[in-house]
Amino acid sequence: MENNYQLSRIHNYIHGLMSKEEMFQLEKEALEDPFLQDAIDGYRLQNGVDARQLSLLQQRLNRRVENTIATRHAQYYTWQRLAVGAAAGVLFVVLLALLYFKHFNGKAERTTDVTLSEPENLVTIEPLLDGGDATPLGGWKAFEHYLNNQLKDTGIGGTIIVNFTIGQDGLPAQIQAEGTPAQALVEETIRLLRSGAKWQGTKGRLKITFPLKEMKDPAQSNIIKPPHCFGIEKS
Amino acid sequence: MNEKELLQHYKTTGDISALGKLYSPYMSLLYGVCFKYLQDPDRSQDAVMQIFEELIQKLRHYEIDNFKSWLHVYSKNYCLMQLRKDKRTTQVDIEDNLFESEQKLNSSEEAKWEERDFERLEGCMQTLNQEQKECVRLFYLEQKCYKDIADLTGYDLNKVKSAIQNGKRNLKICMERKENGK
Repeated sequence: MENNYQLSRIHNYIHGLMSKEEMFQLEKEALEDPFLQDAIDGYRLQNGVDARQLSLLQQRLNRRVENTIATRHAQYYTWQRLAVGAAAGVLFVVLLALLYFKHFNGKAERTTDVTLSEPENLVTIEPLLDGGDATPLGGWKAFEHYLNNQLKDTGIGGTIIVNFTIGQDGLPAQIQAEGTPAQALVEETIRLLRSGAKWQGTKGRLKITFPLKEMKDPAQSNIIKPPHCFGIEKS
Repeated sequence: MNEKELLQHYKTTGDISALGKLYSPYMSLLYGVCFKYLQDPDRSQDAVMQIFEELIQKLRHYEIDNFKSWLHVYSKNYCLMQLRKDKRTTQVDIEDNLFESEQKLNSSEEAKWEERDFERLEGCMQTLNQEQKECVRLFYLEQKCYKDIADLTGYDLNKVKSAIQNGKRNLKICMERKENGK
């Protein structure tokens, strides 16, 4: 290699192993080649060429080159993995979106059914705690369920607030409605309370909302029913 | 692949093994250059590796005609920067370094010398100082090596070297001036 040749010339030059002609030749070359001149100056400062240092340097360079190539391969594989990962991620998101929309749409349909029809077709009770401590045995849910099963069609809807005490037999007694609700509503409430579950506690106060099962008076229906609820009548 | 092809190949592909092939032949010279400035074996080795690291970036962006002289200037600047960084003052002979900033002088021109040019050269020789005149004459005309010149003249070897380097530079400047001024 030209490089080694130059190196051994530098070595010989510094250690005085050259003939005068060879020295002149190298000096002349160095005059045209500042790179060579600098290197000669350096090696002269070091008092010679150390081949071991240079082979170490060569090894370092080789290692450096190999490392980069290895890293590049590693990076390549990483990119490959990343691409697979990204594809999987996209698929996952798409799947999630599909599921979400499906679920969301189903829920929306059901919501229409439930929210619009239920409050109007079911009896709801609301215990007013300021008026008493009585609770039905079996819980409010069961009681509400019982009311809905036992409800007779009075043809009248409305809200009624009743006060009562719990008698010796555990059933509501002295049932009195507040205000002036329709007589049919009062009678129906008394009937339901008297034939229902037993209670615990001493006094009760309830707000009961009866649904409008049948509309005989169109005027009334217009007032109460929101315009978007048509079709509920059929059910 | 020759040097130019390797350089081009590296530039387009970024293939570091091409850069390694390009760099490897210069490492021993580079080590010498670095040692000249850093004067420490370990630092010089590190510098050679560090310059390689910088080339990995630089060579992809720079257009380089003469890789060898570019590399020489680059590595010299690198070493000088290192010295500046650790604020170490080194004795660098200004004459030596003036010489190094110039590049190849002759090559093609050498062939077309005429009688007039030799007269001009003789005139220019007279403008050199005694040391330079003496050393240049002994070196170029009598083809003596530095050591012989040192023995003959009694000058120090380094003085001979810089006298020849500077004499050569001064001659070149003088010749160019005469050529332009005719």
